[in-house]
Amino acid sequence: MGGVEPLPGSFRDPSGNVYQFEGRIFRTVNHCFSQDFDFVTSTGLFQKLATEGLLLPFEVVSSDVLGLSDPKPQYVLEAPRLPFISYPYEWSFPALKAAALLHLRIQLTSLEVGVTLSDASAYNIQFQGIQPVFIDHLSFRRYQSGEMWTGHRQFCEQFLNPLLLRAFFGIAHNAWYRGTQEGITTGEIRKLLRWRHCLKWNVLTHVVLQDLFQNTSTKRTKSLQDHSLAKASFPLSSFKAMLEKMFHWISQLTPLNKGESTWGDYDRTCSYSSTEIQSKKQFILEFAQTVQPALVWDFGCNTGEYSEAALNGGARNVVGFDFDQGALDSSYRRAVERRLPFQALFMDAANPSPNQGWNGHERESLQSRASADAILALALVHHLAIARNIPLVQVVNWLVMLAPQGVIEFVPKNDPMVQELLSLRQDIFPDYTAEHFMGLLQENAVIIKNEIVSKSGRVLVWFKRT
Amino acid sequence: MRNLGSFLAISITLIVFGFESSALAYLDPGTGSMVLQLLLGGIAGAVVILKLYWRRFVGLFRGNAREESERSPSEDQK
Repeated sequence: MGGVEPLPGSFRDPSGNVYQFEGRIFRTVNHCFSQDFDFVTSTGLFQKLATEGLLLPFEVVSSDVLGLSDPKPQYVLEAPRLPFISYPYEWSFPALKAAALLHLRIQLTSLEVGVTLSDASAYNIQFQGIQPVFIDHLSFRRYQSGEMWTGHRQFCEQFLNPLLLRAFFGIAHNAWYRGTQEGITTGEIRKLLRWRHCLKWNVLTHVVLQDLFQNTSTKRTKSLQDHSLAKASFPLSSFKAMLEKMFHWISQLTPLNKGESTWGDYDRTCSYSSTEIQSKKQFILEFAQTVQPALVWDFGCNTGEYSEAALNGGARNVVGFDFDQGALDSSYRRAVERRLPFQALFMDAANPSPNQGWNGHERESLQSRASADAILALALVHHLAIARNIPLVQVVNWLVMLAPQGVIEFVPKNDPMVQELLSLRQDIFPDYTAEHFMGLLQENAVIIKNEIVSKSGRVLVWFKRT
Repeated sequence: MRNLGSFLAISITLIVFGFESSALAYLDPGTGSMVLQLLLGGIAGAVVILKLYWRRFVGLFRGNAREESERSPSEDQK
């Protein structure tokens, strides 16, 4: 093999690998898969899906571009580089649902031209704003008459079951999904079901019966059963009907919310007056107009109000982070309604996504994916420094490390929101002052502009890393 | 429940499949998913067969009725 190494997350499929080389993204197609790849290309499916915006477009480039010789790939594809890679354990419910529906739609479209998907990994989907897009060109292969939906079990684990967790029980999938990385098994979700859930045909079949059949094979009968199953046939009409019913079911799923969201209605309940909100928006707008960032990270994005202000100012993409499901749902609605290139992800700033998976590198940490041109951290610092006891110096250094410039809001101790955090606990934060905060920031950055935006003395600080 | 599930899983596997298909993927589809698909395919197949027989059954009567109505009045008068 030459000098370039495949990305750590692309080792599972022997059909090919993904490479990052000189800032460009390539995918190799190995000899063992070239016949399938040629067939799928001949059907015009790639072109059709890419034109509809469902599949990331690609170009076949010289197979020598990566300098690979042992083995030399049959083809090398180049795909556009996405501004940010996210993982299903960071997606909100509506985003995971949109990804699930995209997968089903692509599988149904593929079957029309004699093609099927070889798996149902949620990691094959990325987002451009709120628009999900399929990125794995090697998941497509020739459909063989009578074959089953190979990815059904994986689809249930990586899409369906995590959605059911929130739809039936009001529990977000993110923490569980991040732990397992592969979603939620059908056996696990079945243990949570009540009788009333099992009376529904879709739940009975895709959860209860699937798990029952999975677990009840004895050692004595398993080999006989597996031998028969490997040769069994599934009519194409049944395959399509199963996909269509699954599509219909998932499109009907909604989160079970029990009014537990603290921040979903923050716009109405926060301690800001409308003029304070306007001056804050104006500050962000001016910042974005001056910096013109390609990608902004908005930590503690809430309902996305200030992400939208950054977009209005000229930011090309915003990725927002919040740990409140209500805020994430509101952000998603905002992005859909106003067609914004804005993606809101689940993230606890005090516990961001780590490097994990095989060899500790299969899925990258948030820090490794830090590619933002600018960050917004509005009303975030007090949550980390006071609610989570993280030393102020560490909070400031972390924010400055994430992007070369940005806007940080400092909320002083006399503000009602900080008073609320301190109402039931001892104030052990003598250094938590605006002056100390500014001093720490200036150790690694210059302050371009700052402005007091509330009566309580909240201050917005525009910094540039030195 | 466990015995019933086992019985169902094996029965469906052995009874429902009819044609051979040897598409094997790099991903393990899982026994539970495969047996379920056979069951769903079997139910769909059974519905098709039932519909077919039902049409024939209904057609039997319709055919008689049509024969009745197509019989010319003059024949009746004979």
